[in-house]
Amino acid sequence: MVDEAKREDILKRLSDGVVYYDEEKVIVASNEAVEDGLDPFDAIMNGLAAGMEIVGQLYEKQEYFVPEILMCADALYAGLNILRPHLKAKEMKERVKGQVVIGVVQGDVHDIGKNLVKMMFDVAGFTVHDLGADVPLEKFAEEQVRTDSNIIALSAMMTTTMMGMKKVVQMIKERNPEVAIMVGGAPLTKEIADVFGADGYAENAGNAVQEAIKMISRLREMHAKRQLEAAP
Amino acid sequence: MGGNGLSSREKVMRLLNHEKVDFVPCFSGMGNITMDGLEKYGLHFNEVHQDARKMALAAKATPELFGYDCAIVPFDFNISAEVMGSKVQYYTTEDILYPSIPEKHIKSFEDIKVPSDLENAGRFPIVMEAIRILKKEIGKEVAVGSWVLGPFTLAGQVTDLTKLLKDTFKKPNEVIQFLNPLRDILIAEAKLYQKAGADFINVREMGTPVDLLSPRLWKSMIQPFMVKMREEIGSPVILHICGKTNEIVHFMHECGYDAISVEHQNDVAMSRQKIGPPPGNLLFGNLNTFKTMVQGTPEDVVKEVRAAIDGGVDAIWPGCDIWPGTPAENMKAMVETTKEYGSKKKKEA
Repeated sequence: MVDEAKREDILKRLSDGVVYYDEEKVIVASNEAVEDGLDPFDAIMNGLAAGMEIVGQLYEKQEYFVPEILMCADALYAGLNILRPHLKAKEMKERVKGQVVIGVVQGDVHDIGKNLVKMMFDVAGFTVHDLGADVPLEKFAEEQVRTDSNIIALSAMMTTTMMGMKKVVQMIKERNPEVAIMVGGAPLTKEIADVFGADGYAENAGNAVQEAIKMISRLREMHAKRQLEAAP
Repeated sequence: MGGNGLSSREKVMRLLNHEKVDFVPCFSGMGNITMDGLEKYGLHFNEVHQDARKMALAAKATPELFGYDCAIVPFDFNISAEVMGSKVQYYTTEDILYPSIPEKHIKSFEDIKVPSDLENAGRFPIVMEAIRILKKEIGKEVAVGSWVLGPFTLAGQVTDLTKLLKDTFKKPNEVIQFLNPLRDILIAEAKLYQKAGADFINVREMGTPVDLLSPRLWKSMIQPFMVKMREEIGSPVILHICGKTNEIVHFMHECGYDAISVEHQNDVAMSRQKIGPPPGNLLFGNLNTFKTMVQGTPEDVVKEVRAAIDGGVDAIWPGCDIWPGTPAENMKAMVETTKEYGSKKKKEA
């Protein structure tokens, strides 16, 4: 067991390492967390993810830009790779919040935004099925059926490719109206996401996971309600 | 109305020549094809990228149908990357899908190959021929423009953008070394289009807004490339960046282009203040090509055109490519409002 002071110290170093894109610092602190028996989930959420949250704020304030975020992401993954194998199978199961299919729509090869959102799903314990970039529209629906995922996350970085999203949303909603769909990318706004029929909209990597968690609880409510209605 | 008796082309050229004018033209340095235009010539979207005649027809339909002041070729972002050896994916579906480059084939500076005979490389000759056709068929009435990417944006097309962005921090000199030959290809491309008769060139360095790069990095790394391109390409030449540009608009202006072009996220009134008054300093923008032009009503378009003119733009110029599905009534509202309201405001001033 680790005492509170030691815990705080490790979490701070994990967070700082991410914020100042210091991979070495994150690796040292992660190894220490494992050796000292700090709960790996605690280290991931309150160390690495907490650091990434600060990075998101720095981006909002225009103190950080995309190159910085990408370097912070490398630092985060350096820690995640050490900590994640130590999550116990049972804990993993309890903490798995869902499965997500993610990809960049056909015609678009810009995957930076998608990769950052994917990272936030990874951190939060989702199982991520990454289809990559330039993904044919039918593929999203097929992959959802194959994996029984409860979230589909679509990204487009160009106005010229954004229209594909509308089709995917329609396609999936026709087959399975309970799947939650979130869209994101540079040319999108909340209003456009609404018009396309998406359930969630992520302006950037920072609010993607919050939006996803909200969606999952909405789905649970829907299920619960349906079960109640079905009861004699 | 302002510009009495002048053709569309004369209006555009006088403006770009920094003459004092009593009108606001409606044109752009980006693609403007519409479904109505494609229909007019019996074309499908996916066949206009590799055929000079069809490319020219798709481009000229917009001024013909809507009184737009220019025709622009080409339409997709992959022309220069293709010349450098990228394999371009052309879609054959009925959907409106612009060609794309699925695989980034260049790993490092050493992999960059420049064809010796650029004039006959890739689709350069197709775009040149399309410009010649446009000049011949409508070149007296409307301005015929073309565009090239900026080197950073092109780099993002041919190499791993994630690595490139991180290297702006970790290995800035290597990034600059990588961008140098790309800049030279783009300058050559612009000169070929000028040789074919293009009235103006728009340089689209759209991969470098404040959403991506810090203003400091823009100034230290991107600006020197923009200055060099401006010097080599020569007038009339415009610099366009989409995304957030409020914090770099003065750096863009310092590059000495005849005009700078911005999209809807730019506060044009503030930019006007920063860059100084016309006709020496020109600011083009900034219609929202999706929310307003595609999703909006003609009233929304009228409102946004007026706001941009009130903000002080010298030409109404959509902030990105016109989406082909833009309704005809919105195109008409854009052109007509620009003419009427632009002339009215000029007269008042």
